[in-house]
This record gives sequence, C-alpha cells and structure tokens, in this order.
Amino acid sequence: MRVEYINPFVESAYNVLREVLNSDVNRGELFLKSTAMPVLGVAAIVGLAGDVEGRVMFDMTRDTAIKIASAMLEAMDMEPISTLNDMGRATINELANMITGQAVTKLHELGFKFDLTPPAILSGENMEISDAGVEALIVPMEVPQGKIEINVAIRERS
Amino acid sequence: MKWNNGNDKQQPSASATGVASRGLRTLGFGFGRDDESREEIERIDFKMVTFSLAGKDYGIDIMKVKEIAKFERFTFVPNARPFVAGVYNLRGEIISIIDLRVMFNLPAEQHSDGTPQDGLILRLEDNLIGVIVDRIDRVVGISSESIQPPHPIFADINIRYISGVVEHEDRLYITLDVDRIFTKESEKARAVGQSRRVMDTPPGEPIEESASVTAPAATAPDEQQEFSFISDGLATFQKLYASAINLQWLQQRFKQWRQERSEAQKPIQFADEHDAAAFVRPFFSANSEQVWDRSYSEALRAVLPHAETMVVNAWNPGCAKGHESYSLAAVLSTHYSGRRVKIWAGDNDLLSISTAPNLILAEEAVPDYMQEFTIGTANGVTFSAGIKEMILFEYHDIRHESGVPDVHIVVCRDLLSLLEPEVQQRVLTKFYETLVNGGVLIVGDNEQLNDDTRWQPVSDQIQAYRKV
Repeated sequence: MRVEYINPFVESAYNVLREVLNSDVNRGELFLKSTAMPVLGVAAIVGLAGDVEGRVMFDMTRDTAIKIASAMLEAMDMEPISTLNDMGRATINELANMITGQAVTKLHELGFKFDLTPPAILSGENMEISDAGVEALIVPMEVPQGKIEINVAIRERS
Repeated sequence: MKWNNGNDKQQPSASATGVASRGLRTLGFGFGRDDESREEIERIDFKMVTFSLAGKDYGIDIMKVKEIAKFERFTFVPNARPFVAGVYNLRGEIISIIDLRVMFNLPAEQHSDGTPQDGLILRLEDNLIGVIVDRIDRVVGISSESIQPPHPIFADINIRYISGVVEHEDRLYITLDVDRIFTKESEKARAVGQSRRVMDTPPGEPIEESASVTAPAATAPDEQQEFSFISDGLATFQKLYASAINLQWLQQRFKQWRQERSEAQKPIQFADEHDAAAFVRPFFSANSEQVWDRSYSEALRAVLPHAETMVVNAWNPGCAKGHESYSLAAVLSTHYSGRRVKIWAGDNDLLSISTAPNLILAEEAVPDYMQEFTIGTANGVTFSAGIKEMILFEYHDIRHESGVPDVHIVVCRDLLSLLEPEVQQRVLTKFYETLVNGGVLIVGDNEQLNDDTRWQPVSDQIQAYRKV
C-alpha cells in the first residue's frame, strides 16, 4: 500500500476513537497481511473508489462492538445496549464513517481523490474475508472496551 | 501460530539485526494459516544435529550445539566417573568430555590411539561440555509438532533423558534432553564419585600420561559438513538463505572465511550473530543504501531494454529508504527522455519506507552526475519533484500479492537471498511473468541466475538478465 496512505488512517482512527470513547487508545504494531483472514465477529466495511480501489474494514468481537456502541450512546445521554440491535449497528456504522471520513479528508488535502461508499455491517460466526490481488495493512487499536483491527486494503488503479 | 515456536527459540539471535527481526515479524503475521504451500515453509521450526550411538539415530536441538568437533588426545582425569573421557583444551577453554556411549551403557567402538573421534560441543546453561558419539550425521529440520512423546520401548537410554521421538525421511530419531542429562548426571556423579572413588576404573580411552593439558588438537570436521553448518547459521542469524542464486558467492566466501578464522585462531563455525554478520558483510552489493555511483549507473544504462511504449514501467522491491529507486529514476529518465517513467518501489520495513518519499541526503552523498536531479533544502538535498513523481513508494511484502502492472525493468538487489528458497523461486517466477518480453532483471552483485531457458545474462559489469 502506498506509504502516503498509512498515516491518515492511523491518525484518524486514533483521534476519533479517543474522542468518542473519551479514553486512552493504544496503537499496536502495523503489519501486512495477504490471503483470507478471519473476521472477529462484527465487521464494518467502507468501500473506496476514485484514484484507488479498495476498502477499509473495522473488525471487532461482538462483545467489543456492544461495549463500544454503549459507550458512544452513553456519551450522548442515550440508553446503552445489551445486544447488537439496530441502534448498536447504526452506532458502529457511524464510528466507521467518522474514521474513514476523517482519513479521506486528510488524504484529500494531500492531493489524493477518494470516494466513499456507505458503511455496511457484517456479523456472524467463523467469517473470513479475502481480497484477490491486494495486500491489507492491519492497524490494531486497543481501547478499554477491547480490540479493534482496522484493515485497510487499497490499490492504485492501473 | 506454528511459526512462533521456532521464533521464540531464535529470539535472542534474530533480534540482533534489523533485517532479521523485520523478516520475522512479517513472517509471523504475514502467513495465513490456510495457505498450504506457505505452511510447509514455516513448519520447519526445529533443527537438530543428528548422530548415531550403537546403531541408533539420535538428535540434539541445534540451539544447544555450539559446534561439531573431532576430539583427539584429551587429558585423563583421575578418579572421574567412567563416562568422563577426560578434559580437553578448546582454544584455551578447558571443557570436560563425556562419552555418551559409556554413559548410557552402550557398546563403544574401540578406537586406537590418536584416531580423532566425532563429537559435539554443547552449550549448557552455565558451561560448555563435549560429548563423544559414534558418528555425526547431519542437520535435520523438522516441525516441533511432529515430535512424539518418548516411548518406554527405547530402553537403551533412560526415558527421562529422551525429550521425544521423531520420524524424518524414514528414519527414527530420538531427541535427547541435554539439560536434563547433564545437570542430573553431574550431581549424581559427584555424589557417587565420593563413595566409589577407588573402584572406578579409567575408561579405555586414550590417556595422556602428562598431567598438563594438551595443545589444541581438534582437527577440522568434513568441509562439507562445516559448510552446511555455516549456511544453517546464516539462515538462523541473518535470514540469508543458501540457494542456487548465491551458492557461488557462499562457497567462495566460505573458503576465505576458513582462512581468516584459522589465521585468527578462531572457530570456523559461528559462535554468535556477530560472527554471522561478519561473514555476510561483503555479500551486500556496491552502492547499497546510497545513491549509485557513475559506473554502476552507466553499466545499468547499457543493458536497458528497448521500449516502444510511451510509458516505461519499473519495479524495485526491497528499496529500503529509496536511494536505489531515486538513482534508478534518474537513470531511466535520462535514458528514456521524453517518455513517462513510472517506478513501483516497495519494502516491508515500515520505518525505512516511511522515510523514502522525503529522503534527505547530505550534499556530498550525491555524485556530480546526479546533481541535476536534486534540489537543496534547509537540511540537505533531496530529489526534484520531477523524479519524485515517477516513484510510487509502497509498504509491501514481496511474499504477498502485488498490484504491479507489466514492467520493463525489475531491480531487486540482495533481496532474493533474504527469502526462503521456496519463496525465492515463487518471486522469480513472479518477476518473469511481470516483465515484458525482452525486459531486464537486475539482481545483487553477488547473486546469479542460472536458468538459461528464462534468463540470459547481458552484462559483464553488473548482474543483469534479459527475459528469454
């Protein structure tokens, strides 16, 4: 993945998570991954198009998703959730949108043009994701509610 | 993940070099557990030195083996246990020699005086110890998962000393737990030795009458065996894998190394990662991590393929901080002037590749002929926007898929040798498929491609090959 794309994603993930959860966020070592990889349980996917093609996936366990959604809802004086209901999914969608949106804004300032698709949430057991011909950058983020793996797979249009 | 078993074991050594630790990290995460062909590679996470005792095959974890030696003329120690063959002067260090066959009550082959005996020098927690065996066989790489627990049927040796049994190429190897053998035995030996001092008979091994320690007398083990240990050490310490690509250099360097080391009176085998680093230092190509000098650029320019398209593409995997990619961009833009040059440059070291797009050099680091491509900044010089625009720096692992389109030139110096032989072949095939007909592949100064059906050498000065 193009070097210039890395920092905007890492920074916006860090900033947004810290802001919405109002807590410490730890970033793990970045690494690259190829071939099919397991999905932890709940994945929010945002597609990218424009100068590039690809997608960003926010991957976490169901438990983490519920806790993060609850923390975000409580911060807005709303009822926390105990199961991953519509409200929970919409909240996770919003989180994915905020992080990707902020990253794309930063990239835009650097002169790269990206368009976003609306986020989609996938949830279930034993899921895998694979992207033919693209290597994925994994940005692991640790928050008090658990671990979120941000999985960025983008390639230049050739 | 299976890889991690081996990884833990090699941790102290591997972290010594940047390349090695980077390689490890990427490997650890990079290989999907569902990719069968890659799993084959990572499965070999346990290496053992194999040898025979009374006709049976045994193995000892290679991390416990300091070196392989031939023992000759050691000094008998009075009142020692029968299995203590004596003490031995290993380049100034006195170590005890244990005869494993006597220790385990196995029949020992009788040696006449002066015949060197095969042995291993083991690295235990706090000291070195030499053991005599019937015959050293070779180094065998296996998966630690294939080791079975010991079975009472192997009654030759007390089951406590056996860590497992493993089958490899139709032979059954018994792996020994050296720490357990020697810590327990030495305590027992001390205790028993006190009470039975007089009854012990000296072993029927060569005895030196003189009480003084003999001069070093280890004769060199087989050259081939030594070479295999060296290449094994390189793979462990430096992540440099011996293969057809670098074999010629390795053999030449090995001869030179033998001479250097014997002149310095040091062991030929690697004691640690520093030795391995010293061995491998001359391997890296000229102009590594620096802007190419004029002669290299000219030699490269002489082999550039004829391109009819308006766009000339090049691929530069393993570009590190980007010196190579910028030099290549300058050469290509001169050679193919008027056409669009595009270079895909990648590296799996995040730190290096992150600095590449904004590489700043000291003014004296740029040769005169390159100066037209650079501009001054507050901290030094950098390449001009025109050159920078040609290069796309990617955080990329060569083991993974890549989106590089058809290219005219591939510059991949010294990277192939740092990949496992199976991966080397896969990457070479990828290069072949990515290059256009008549395209050129440039490898490291000390690397060679020997496949005439695919690669035809085109230069006397640099390692350049045209796709056939």
